[in-house]
Parts: sequence; structure tokens; C-alpha cells
Amino acid sequence: MKKITLFVSVLLFFFSSMVSAHGPVRQKAEEKITINAPAEKVWAIIKNYGDMSWHPEVFNTTVKGDNTKGAIRVLTLKDGGTITEELKKHDDAKMSYAYKITEMSSSKSITHAGAEEKVPALPVNDYAASIELADKGGSTEVIWKAGYYRAYMNNNPPEEMNEEAANTAVKAMLETGLINLKKLAEK
Amino acid sequence: MFPVNYRHASSRLASGIHTILGNKAVAIYIATAFLSTPLAAQPFAYISNQLADSVSVIDTATARVVDTIAVPGKPAGIAVAPDGKHCYVSTPEAKGFAVVDTTKREVIATVAVNDGTLGIAVGPDSKRIYVADWYKNTVSVIDANSLQILSTIAVGESPSGLVVSPDNRWLYVANRISNSVSQIDLKTLDVKRTAQVGTHPFGLTIDARGERIYVANVQSDDVTVVETARMKPIATVKVNMLPYATALALNDSRLLVTNQDDGSVSVIDTETLKEIALIKVGEKPEGVSTHPDDRHVYVANWFDGNVSVIDARTLKVIDTITTGEGSRAFGQFISK
Repeated sequence: MKKITLFVSVLLFFFSSMVSAHGPVRQKAEEKITINAPAEKVWAIIKNYGDMSWHPEVFNTTVKGDNTKGAIRVLTLKDGGTITEELKKHDDAKMSYAYKITEMSSSKSITHAGAEEKVPALPVNDYAASIELADKGGSTEVIWKAGYYRAYMNNNPPEEMNEEAANTAVKAMLETGLINLKKLAEK
Repeated sequence: MFPVNYRHASSRLASGIHTILGNKAVAIYIATAFLSTPLAAQPFAYISNQLADSVSVIDTATARVVDTIAVPGKPAGIAVAPDGKHCYVSTPEAKGFAVVDTTKREVIATVAVNDGTLGIAVGPDSKRIYVADWYKNTVSVIDANSLQILSTIAVGESPSGLVVSPDNRWLYVANRISNSVSQIDLKTLDVKRTAQVGTHPFGLTIDARGERIYVANVQSDDVTVVETARMKPIATVKVNMLPYATALALNDSRLLVTNQDDGSVSVIDTETLKEIALIKVGEKPEGVSTHPDDRHVYVANWFDGNVSVIDARTLKVIDTITTGEGSRAFGQFISK
């Protein structure tokens, strides 16, 4: 009996590793950059939660609240999409803040598995991120981290809303932001 | 690899005596075998690394990873059998769980259960395995010997954390979407009672006497204390951002709660039901388990891919052990 069970299990094992994702798994992204400028100077550029003008993909930012927990900012992207984010933590001494996406506009609609799906401006779900600076004595390391799920929460995602789409979009968002921040701070 | 485990050490000792009896080497051989035995006898922590499809084995005596076991299917939940022979790992993408032989340190069987396995637990007698299904809103009861599903019990929506009472009489299930905890009678395999708790309960633990359950509510940033005799909440304790799971230490006098979005662990005095410390750990702490010494508490940091070891007495992090990408270790992950 046990032998049969094991045999079946082994078969299932091989079978199940071939079928596509069942239930989303949280993804992560982490981007770092070293900037040849003092930490205070870099922090001065990014510390105001309501000012994302240092990010080249962000066209405009509006904010309700100041640099304290609960402040809500709405980023309008260059392509017209909007991302609403809530400030979860802001630490001036540690030069870091953390936030969460609470709402997004959709960039397009697609049909998948017979249903209309709206692809959000950033193709992710349940996105939380933090940005922090490390003073390297004259230079600064900036670390931007994010944890999130793919946009499609059911099984068998369309390619616009799968893990790869989410990871690619988040990586690009963090990377372009940091590269521009370096440019601004090293001026 | 080191350390040598118990079985290998003793067989090596035996063959040493047979083959080189009379040689001076025997003494050394015996000494070596005895030296390696205490290491192997120490409890191991099994950490699921979801993004790396693996489980890291930490020797808690040396605070080092001594092995990494390949476990496909995005391993998430962990339950170490109290007899120490097996470790069960839920694999949501493989729709079931994997059975790890803790001596061989490899997957010896996989069991298909349902669509979205996450929470997993073993009874105190090591005879039954319980697996929650996130999508089907059920808990499956599996015979640990035959690996057959004995029963599938309907619970609340999106069941997550599971814990068995120390007397093996009850199974408690946190139902994330239903904001409740179900109490399942392990004799009849029916839901007996249900307690309403905070918003989105996830991980839970039970005290040694089986009288109280502590459940972390992800959305309401608090812990609900449920009295099991009446299945009624008796207190709500505010913690920090996104509490994920709970563990007890020091004779049940301290409750440790991982705050996922704060990178911290809240320490609660279970008598006054007040937070007495907030300990900084790694980024996105998730699974939390107490060492059998009842003093050291291990926390898996999802974002950092490592484990923080907290001394519950001094309330300090005494070790940080690198594990793998996406360390979750949701469940009871340390062997007895």
C-alpha cells in the first residue's frame, strides 16, 4: 500500500511541477545604488513624501498629510496612470520611509479566460516598499526594496499580469528612479 | 557534511570497535563519535525558502545551516513531527505538501491535497497531519503513516494558521477572510465552535495547558487572546504593523509576535497582556518558533532571507543566520 502511495506521489510530484502556478507567491525586488554625495544631500531630495519629482517616470505628485504615517500621495505617471500610496513609516534620523500602494488606475483592459481584466498601472498586487539611505562617509548607498504579488490573483495568469510582468515593471521603476536620483544628487 | 547525525555516529563507532580493536585509534574514534553525538542531538530548525524552492536546515547548537534540501512547489508552511522523524512542508504550487525525512534530509514523498495549501500542522503523537486549503476553505486530515487523506473538513474562508491542542483533542484554524478561529473536535472531525477574532487572523499559537490561543490579526494590527474553554475572545492586544504569527516562550509568560511591515517582533507579557518590548529583526519577519529550551525564539525574515534568533530573557537578537530567498517558515519549524 505504502509503495503504491509513494509511486503515485512521485508521479504527482512530476506532474505538479509541470503545471503552471497555483496560487500566487509573493515576489521581491531590491535595487541599490551608490551616490557620490553626502547622505544629507541625497535625503534632502527624497525625504518629502509628497515630492516624487526626482523620479523621471512620475509626472506629478499630490499629497494629503505631511511626512507622518497615514499620509496619502497620488503619483501621476508620464503615461497618465495613477498610483495611490499610503505612508507607513517615516524616519528622519534613519533616513528611510516605507509605503504601500492602496489604489491604481488601469493601464488597459484585456480578455483572459473569458473575463475582462484591468491591468493596473504597475502590474502588481499588495505592494509594499521602503527606501533607505546608508551613510558611507561622504558617499551614500540608497536601497529601495519592494515586496508584492503579481496582478492576477487567480490561477493561470495572463502574461500581462504574471510574475514576470510584475518583476520587470517593478525593477524598471526602482532602477530608473535611482539612476536619476544619482544624477540629481551628484550635480 | 557535518555534523554527523546520531545514526551515522553510532554505526561508525561500532565498526570502529570491530575493525581496529586493540589499536590506539579506538580511543580517538570513540571520542570523536561522542563528540559528534551531542551536536547531532541538538534540535534543528527547518526554514522554508519560498523563492528558492528549498528548506534550510539550521543546527541550533552551532547556529549554522548544515544542509539545504530541494523542495519544489514554492514551499511555505512547515510542521516538524514531534517524534523528529519527518518534517512536512506545504507546497502551494505543487498543490499539496512534501514529506522530508529528517535523517536523510531529502523529500521522500509528496502528497497532492488541494488547490492552495499553506497552513500545516502535526498532532502531538505525530500520527496525523493537518493541511489547510486557502482556496477550498477546508482542512484535510492525513494519516502520517499511509499518507492517505482521512477526512476533509469545511471551515471558514481562507484558512491559514493551524495549531493542535497539547492534549491532541482539538485543532484550531485561523480563517483569514472570515475573521474567525474554528475549533475542530479531533475525535469526530467536526467543527465544534467558532470564535470571532480581529481582522484577518493568520498565524496562531496555543499555551502548554491548552487554555489560551493567541492569534495575530494581519489587518487590525493586533492579537486576539481566545479562551478555549468557552471559545470566546478575552482580550485584544495592539501590536505593530501587519502582525503575522505568534510564539510563546519562558513558561508561556512571553508572547512573541512578528510584525511583518515593521521589521520587528512585539513581546507581550501574557499576564498583564501589555507589550513590554519591540525588538528589531530583519525585513518582513514571518514565521516564528520557540526552541525546546523555551528561551530562544527563531524568526524567519522573508525579505532578507535569513533567521533572527531572539533571547526571550534578555530581549536581544543574539544571532542572524543566512538561509535562502523568501524565508517564510510558517508553522512549528523546530524539532523537539
